[in-house]
Amino acid sequence: MEHPILFISIILEKLGLPIPHGPVGHTLIEQLCAPYMTYTWFTMIFLMVVGKLTLGNLEIVPGKGQNFWEIIIGGMDNFFVENMGRDLTDKLFPMIATFALYIAVANLIGLIPGFMSPTSSINTTLALTIIVWITHHIIGFRANGFAYLKHFLGPMPVLIPLMLPIEIIANVARLLSLSIRLFGNIMAKETLLGILFLLAGAYFAPLPIMILGVLVSLVQAMVFVLLTVVYFTQSNEHVH
Amino acid sequence: MSKMSKEMIHLLGNYGHIGFTFVAAIFVGMGGGIYLDRKVFDDRTTPWFTFIGLAFGIAAGFKSLFDIIIKQQDKD
Repeated sequence: MEHPILFISIILEKLGLPIPHGPVGHTLIEQLCAPYMTYTWFTMIFLMVVGKLTLGNLEIVPGKGQNFWEIIIGGMDNFFVENMGRDLTDKLFPMIATFALYIAVANLIGLIPGFMSPTSSINTTLALTIIVWITHHIIGFRANGFAYLKHFLGPMPVLIPLMLPIEIIANVARLLSLSIRLFGNIMAKETLLGILFLLAGAYFAPLPIMILGVLVSLVQAMVFVLLTVVYFTQSNEHVH
Repeated sequence: MSKMSKEMIHLLGNYGHIGFTFVAAIFVGMGGGIYLDRKVFDDRTTPWFTFIGLAFGIAAGFKSLFDIIIKQQDKD
């Protein structure tokens, strides 16, 4: 389904850049100008500019902007420490916190008319998920060496032929479930909003869905981060 | 944020992904079985690996469900 109006795409079209008509273009420039790419860049620029504006000069007595960020970063830090301990948090905080901020902003941006959520494309969510998935294996190997493979062998040697395929399937399923959950929820929100706008936009029909959309956006960002933390903790655990 | 809605969001975070995890495990298992049948063994073994993969997929789904419950019990 065509998204109603995307203002970055319109600006780019006026500038003479090719905008793909399907979900993904054919040439490189068309692929770079696909809406989910341009809105990903928009989200990145937004986060950087807001960070720079509110945190330009750090003060001992924080002002409004600094207070806001201190609450958010402090809250996330507490949450990660509760779930995966101080050491791992210090190592991985930049990555997970960036993911959390990016996903939350990217989900919420789709509620404004003229914008779309970059996370409503499977390419974005799959990219995020692959990074998390590979990282959790790297953490496992660094923490346990090759003993990490014992995670996949089940509790006793007799059960190895049974447990090995099950564990491998359950592990690969993480890749699928993590990406498709985020993609499905946000895509459903976007599509529903688009259809309601087309049908009865003049009578404020999309309003209730927008309220639910705020909840879904925040909860999905939180679920993604929570599961990332859980996977990292599990692969960091000692093998017995 | 009030205490009630905070707890609600925590519950959603901890249990809201059960359905997706279960289904994804079954899909991965069955997809692997179909891949083995069609591509690796060239349709010579046709229904067998699909069924074996489906069985392992369902088992993996229940195992991940079990893991979630065990993890939550440890926490409480």
